[in-house]
Amino acid sequence: MIKITGISKDFKIGVGAKQVRALENLDLEVQKGEVFGFLGPNGAGKSTMMKILMNLIFPDKGSASIMGNDVRDRETRRHVGYLPENPYFYDYLTAEELLWFGGRASGLTSVAVKKRTDELLDKVNLRSARKRQLRTYSKGMVQRAGLALALVHDPEVVIFDEPMSGLDPIGRKMVGDLIVELKAGGKTVFFSSHILTDIERFCDRVGIIIRGRLRMVDRLDHLLSTSVGLEDVFMKEVVQAGGEAEA
Amino acid sequence: MTTLWPIMLITFKEGIRNRAIYAISLVALMMLVANFLICGMIMQEVGKVAVDIALSAVSISGLLLVLFVGINLMAKDLDKRTIYMVLSRPISRPQYIVGKFFGMVLLIVTTTFFLSVFAVLSIFMIKLSYPHYFLRFSWPLVLLALSFITLSLILLSALSFLFASFTSSSFITLVLTMIAYIIGHSISDVYSLIQASQFADIRPAMFIVKLIQTAYYLFPNLSFFDIKMQAAHAIPLTPSYIFWTLLYGLVYSSLAIAGAAMLFRRRELP
Repeated sequence: MIKITGISKDFKIGVGAKQVRALENLDLEVQKGEVFGFLGPNGAGKSTMMKILMNLIFPDKGSASIMGNDVRDRETRRHVGYLPENPYFYDYLTAEELLWFGGRASGLTSVAVKKRTDELLDKVNLRSARKRQLRTYSKGMVQRAGLALALVHDPEVVIFDEPMSGLDPIGRKMVGDLIVELKAGGKTVFFSSHILTDIERFCDRVGIIIRGRLRMVDRLDHLLSTSVGLEDVFMKEVVQAGGEAEA
Repeated sequence: MTTLWPIMLITFKEGIRNRAIYAISLVALMMLVANFLICGMIMQEVGKVAVDIALSAVSISGLLLVLFVGINLMAKDLDKRTIYMVLSRPISRPQYIVGKFFGMVLLIVTTTFFLSVFAVLSIFMIKLSYPHYFLRFSWPLVLLALSFITLSLILLSALSFLFASFTSSSFITLVLTMIAYIIGHSISDVYSLIQASQFADIRPAMFIVKLIQTAYYLFPNLSFFDIKMQAAHAIPLTPSYIFWTLLYGLVYSSLAIAGAAMLFRRRELP
């Protein structure tokens, strides 16, 4: 469903154009109907990889495809829903208008957008605030509006970058329920987090990325059966990556 | 068009609901009210002054709209990353630029239309009060001047899109757009001066001549669109002037947007 082959990405930082390697020769495949957790510390390259999948930035090397289509093809995004980290939307639009845009721009009819908007605003608990401009929303409400926007066109593949960020426990449960529901509906979910419990709760498989390198990919049940917990596995990889970097 | 329409509409809505637009409109309306007072005080050439002030009010408020609302509409997309919500749809970067620009055009046309209604109303009221100062007066020229103001604002907005497509901050876009506006309004006079200097046996440095010649062909000649003087004095314009000015505005705007789309195609949005 999602196929990433040999992706490398460098960023130039500052006037002196110092190169920083964000991703290094990353290979990964996510299967249809799978919930894949992309785990890593801050600055590991999780968001960079997701932005490459959304064609917001371009890889220096390698390629990526979703449902067999190159991510550089805009039509690929017709079947993909994306929630960026700390999303920010147009201040003066209402949640209803935001979803209208998302649906119409993805090719939905006005009737289908209306139906889907009602469903999703109910689901993310924003029905009563649907006519309010987004600038009056709290951070959690913006996050929930972003989730609804990502799902308005009923995508086959969902990419969530830190979906729990800024949410209270009720909001976190709502996102969790959404991910479970997406999985039950046969959708593919690729989400990043540095909150281990979130990964443990929803994922079929986990990938740990540190300093731009994918350190390991394994089934969650396998990982949990062979170690004390995900935290141990994660910390071991962090320490090992630190040691390799020093060496 | 099915892809452009949603971008165009949200751009328009985001712009028209911006509070800055109300402040700009208020300034314009105050200028138009002041038109009555000024015309009542000067008691000479009232017709020309009334037309000049009314057209200037629309022109200045339109300029403020492009500089402080228009630039912000695109720059905020890049600064705050609201562009992610657009580009995560099956929308290409060039489509984003074109859709956004059409939204801005709709915003400029709507705003200048309402301001023009008030401008026309202010001229009409003054004309009613002092009809003997309006013996040489032409409504079609006033309407043409208002249309040219709108077109020049669209052109300036297209230029601001071009600058925003490669600059990293809204402030740089604002500065470049203001420079383009100033050069656009004065380059024609400066170019004429350079040409005339040859007849007066003055030899400006070759570097200066080349620089001005380059600027003359590179920057839009906004003075073509400024027919306030002709409208105020009811000096008729030839149909060919009107045709070529309209064509110039449309072609220049299209080229600027095509350039913006081309540059933006490879822009990364980390």
